[in-house]
Order: sequence, then C-alpha cells, then structure tokens
Amino acid sequence: MNVTSLFKEMHRAGTLSSGQLDVLTELHLKKRYSVHQELRAAIYIGVLLITAGVGFTIRQYFAQLGDIAIVGSLTVGTLAAFLYCFLKGKPWSGGEVESPNILFDYVLLLGCTLYAADVGYIETQFRVLGDSWHNYLLVSAALFFFLAYRFDNRLVLSMALSTLAAWFGFQLSASFLSFHKYYRESAIAYSLVTFALGSLSHRLAVKKHFFDIYLNFTVHFLLVALLSGVVQYRFASWHLPAMAAAIAAVAVWSLRMRRFLYMLYAILYGYACLSAVVFEFIDGAAAMYIYGIVSSLTVIGLIFILSRRFKEGT
Amino acid sequence: MRISLYTPEQEERLFIRREARTWARSGLITDEQRGIIDSRTDPGLRETNVFFRILFFLFTSTCMQAVIGFYISIFGLRNEVSIAWAVLAFGIVMSGLAEYLAGRKSFYRYGIEEALALAGMALACTGVVIFISLLHIELRLLITTAAMLASACAFWLYLRFGFLYAAVISVACACVVPFQLSLPHESERAIVAMLLVLILLTSIRAESFETSDFRKERGAMLQACLLAGIYLAVNLRLPELGRAHFGNPAPFYQPHAGFPPLFYWATYGLTFLVPALGLYHGLKRRKRIVINVSLIAALLTLATNKDYLGFMHYAWDPAILGVAMVVAAIVIMRWLANGGREARNGFTVQNLLKPENHGINLAELGAALLPGAIQAHLPPSSPDRPFSGGQSGGGGASSGY
Repeated sequence: MNVTSLFKEMHRAGTLSSGQLDVLTELHLKKRYSVHQELRAAIYIGVLLITAGVGFTIRQYFAQLGDIAIVGSLTVGTLAAFLYCFLKGKPWSGGEVESPNILFDYVLLLGCTLYAADVGYIETQFRVLGDSWHNYLLVSAALFFFLAYRFDNRLVLSMALSTLAAWFGFQLSASFLSFHKYYRESAIAYSLVTFALGSLSHRLAVKKHFFDIYLNFTVHFLLVALLSGVVQYRFASWHLPAMAAAIAAVAVWSLRMRRFLYMLYAILYGYACLSAVVFEFIDGAAAMYIYGIVSSLTVIGLIFILSRRFKEGT
Repeated sequence: MRISLYTPEQEERLFIRREARTWARSGLITDEQRGIIDSRTDPGLRETNVFFRILFFLFTSTCMQAVIGFYISIFGLRNEVSIAWAVLAFGIVMSGLAEYLAGRKSFYRYGIEEALALAGMALACTGVVIFISLLHIELRLLITTAAMLASACAFWLYLRFGFLYAAVISVACACVVPFQLSLPHESERAIVAMLLVLILLTSIRAESFETSDFRKERGAMLQACLLAGIYLAVNLRLPELGRAHFGNPAPFYQPHAGFPPLFYWATYGLTFLVPALGLYHGLKRRKRIVINVSLIAALLTLATNKDYLGFMHYAWDPAILGVAMVVAAIVIMRWLANGGREARNGFTVQNLLKPENHGINLAELGAALLPGAIQAHLPPSSPDRPFSGGQSGGGGASSGY
C-alpha cells in the first residue's frame, strides 16, 4: 500500500471527494509545493539580524552619532512600523485573525524591538525616571500586550510576558543565577499574575489561542520557584505541598486537554522535586543507585500506562 | 535478506499515518476521513507521542546508568579487565533487550528501545576498546579503532532499527578517522569532505530506484545531514563566526586560517558552491529539509564572507544581511504570488500544510528573549550625563536584564 493507491481506493469507496483527491495528489506528488514556512523563517531571522545590527551600531558609534540621531531614527523606525500595522492590519476580533500578509507579523515585531531599543537608550543615557526607572518596563509590557491582542501576534505576546517578568525583577544576568528568597517570591507572584491574565483572556473568549503561551510562562516560573524552595527547606516549609499540588494540577490539565508537553514538564519537575527530598535521607552510593533504579522504573511504568491510555502517536 | 526489524509495509503505513495527521491539521481532510485512513493503515506497531518518547528515553537511560553503577559499586570492580567484561556484558544484554522490545513487542520509536540500543552499542564498543587498550597500542591507533568500531555499530543500528541519528553518528565517527592519520590539516579536511560527498552521491543515486515514500523521506534527511557535514568540512572560517571584531581585523586575523593559499581559496569557492548545489538539488527534487539546510549554509557563507576575504567588519553588517534576507523573501513571495494559481513551477507561497502546534515554538521563545538581548547591547551610561546614577533599562529592561 502507498499513498496514491490509498487515495484511489478511498475515492472509489466514496470517502474522498474528487476535489480532495486532486489537491492531496498534487501535494503528495509535490506538484504543488509550499515555501510559506521557509519565507516566514527567512523574514524572522532577517528581523533578528536587523535588531542585532541596530544594537551593535548604537553600542559602537553612539558617541559619534549623537543622541538626537539615535533617538530620532529609532523613534521614526518604531512609528513607521506601528503605522504600517495600523494601516494594513485587519479589524480587531476576539478570535484568531489571519495576518494580511507574511511580512505583517514581523514588521510589528521589528517595531516592538526598535521601541525597546529606543526606550532603553533614553533611560540608560538620561535617567528620566530616576529611581522609578522600572516603571518603564510596566509601560512597555502594557504596550506590547495591547499590540499583541490588537494584531493577534504571539511573538509580541512573548515579548510582553518577558518584559513583565523584567518588571517583577527578573534579569538575564549572572547575578540572577542565585535564586534567593526575593526572586522566589517574585516568580510565584509573576506566575500567578500571568495565569490570572491568561485565564481571564481564555474565560472571556478573547484570543483563546494565547492561553498556551501564558501557561508556559506560568508553569516554568512557578515550578522553578517552588522547586528552589523545596531544595532549600525540604519538609520545613509550604513549598513541598504547594509543589505537589502544582504538579498534580499540571498533570491533570495535560491529560484532560491531551497536551502532553505539560505532562513532560510535570514529570521532569516532579522527579527533580522527589530527588531533592529523597537525597536528604540517602547515604552511600549503593542506596543512591537503588533509588535511581526504583524511581526511574516507576516513572517508566507510569508513562507506559499513560501511553497505552492515550494511544495516539502525536 | 531483510536486516531491518520492521517491514517496508509497516514503515510505509506509518508514513501514510504521519501524512494524514498533517492533512487533518491543515483542514484538507476531515477527522472522519483521517479515522478511515488510520483504520486501513494499522502497522501493528506500538508508537507513542514525542513527549512520552523523550521521557521514556531519559528515564531508561537513567535506569541503565543506575544499574551499571550499582553493579560496579556492589562488586567493587577496580581492575580494567573486570570492568571491560562487565561493560561488554551489559552492552550485549541491553542490545538484546532492545532487539526483543522492537522485534517481539513491536516497539517503534518508543524511547525505551532507542535508549537500550544506543547504550548497548556504546557499552559494547567501550568494552572492546578497553580490551584493546590493554595491548598498549599507540593512542592514535586506539582512537582510530574505537571510531571505526563505533561507526560500524551505529550503522548496524541504522540498518536494524532505522534510527536516522544512528546513521549520523556512524558518519560522524567515520569522519574522526582521517584526523588520526597524522596528515596535514588540509588533507584531513579534504578526505572528510570527499568521504561525505561519496556517501551523499551514493545516497542520491540509490534513491532513483526507490519507490517507497518512507525511504525517500529518510534518504532526504540523511542527505541533509551529509550536506551539513560537507559544509562544516569546507568552511574554514566557521570557528570565527560570532567573534567579529568591528574595526581593523589585522590583530586578530590569521591569514588563510593557517591553511595553504590554494586550498584556502578552493574552500572559499566551495562555501558558495555547496549551498548552491544543495539548493538546486533540493528544489529540483522537492526535498524540504535539503532546501532548509542549503539555505542555512548559504546564510553562513554570507556571514563568514568578510572573514574569508580579510575585510573589516562593521557593526551594521548584521542589519544589512537582515535587510537583504527580508527583501529577498519579499521578492520571492511577490514573484510566486504573481504566477498562475499563485504558483510557479508548482512552488507557492500559500500556507498549505500547517506545522504541529505544541503550545509554544522556538520563534516565540526567541521573541521572549529579545528585550533582554536588546538591553545587553545598549551603550553604558556616560558619567557626565545629567540625572546619572540609576540602574535602568529599556523596553525594555533593567541594566542587567
């Protein structure tokens, strides 16, 4: 059996229409071949390179170019990109909206990155807001949220959520690697806020397809924060029951919605949590190996049961 | 004689099912029609989804490491001979288990049999290499033997189980051998490139007799890996990528990258020729993965072009490359859209087959990192500015974002 013979068989049996037969045969024999994803990837990488080039140029030549030239060109670039989006964009809808063309999503992304560079430059050079500088982040996040919802853009939503995380105090720097109390509480607060925003958006049926992005941010921030609490305090704090409850919630949601990426998260974070607790009581290499054998076999058995229950090889 | 544990019929049925999933996702067939296809293409194999496969692989590997560690610690193995015997025995047992699960229990890309087969191969090779090392042979000869053994075992796994990554491991191990022959550097690279070209041409030649779709798909993936390997062998300036020094390159620049000038300029030509030929072949035979690898190679050629020529890097170079990519994409898009039925020679810009949505994708993760990356490249504040003294950031982020 091959694809062509199956098509013919289904067509003869009346389960495949002539129109479908033509389209599917064309696609299968590659007589019609889409390069849509390749062009999207090229434009996305192009926008990233433009952003990198702008960043390098400002850093290298800011003394020669002068503040007016830098701020002026970034502002003009930002406004031009946003203007294009407002002129070309389709009317707002609470559901999923197709972009008017392949370029559209990336022009918006470019506008947002130029805006970020513009505001960042102004703030690092002029300290306009002084000690309350971090409120820029909230304003930027709000703008990105607005643009993401207005133009149905998941890339800009990701930028909005990471900028909101920055407002909560998260940085991409070496000093952040020590996940101390302040960050832990901030991460939990951040994850609850993102979950509330995502759930509200989902409940109100406004861009329901954004929920997965919210959920990814929520799950990682929450579980990393709780895991760090478990590693530090073991049984001596509320982090352990909270972690168990969070993992159970993620696992149940994953099974109900058949979104197995979340089961992967639940099992990996759960195993890390269990190991952190068990290692406290394990003494000697042999006991550690026995724990490794028993725990991994238990997990394999568990996934095996789940795998048989949800047979689909998606 | 059939070496593979799975029949071509089973593999073809699985291929049809994968295709049907894509068609259903793209709205080309209904769920009911997909159900009919699934009912007619039961391969009689046990499959699982990609996330469970990852979990199975990880936890099977963990379990095996724990078992070996436990055995060695309990029996207090210290000398090389007993460790070699133990490792070899574990390798054979694990390979046998993998065969049993795939052959008798019909596991197909389940994660468990993959971890067992790979670990079995690695352990068996390690055991043999420890025994050979007891003969006190020269290190280069030992590495050569180990690489050839690993290459042969990995190729066996590819034939037996059909793991594409085993074929890649096999070729990669074979490529280690020329580097152990005490040859000049240019000869090492030339031999590796020629070896890969030979395998690639053999693969392309073999596919012209091929009728089954799954083998064509697998062949295309293998060819893309080989093309990437050839490109890595011929581009001598790749190690310098991303280490661009804006301004005069002279203090950091090694002329001809330490290779003879003739070889150097020949590879310069090849950095253009390899992606061009790959793209031509990919477009002609409609092999998506070959097209994608060729485009990435072409992008790398442009990114390393100034290093090859010894030209000065400017800070705006990435932006120019980015603009060129966007403009090229727009031109191609318009050209295709203006053709009959919005296509030219069958190529169309229409979104016909939708990719799988797992909730979040790489582009979205990349976008999440953008504000931080932008902030990291902003100039530091000048001390003579008014209002200086804060620690702020952009659009933004904090100064340490």
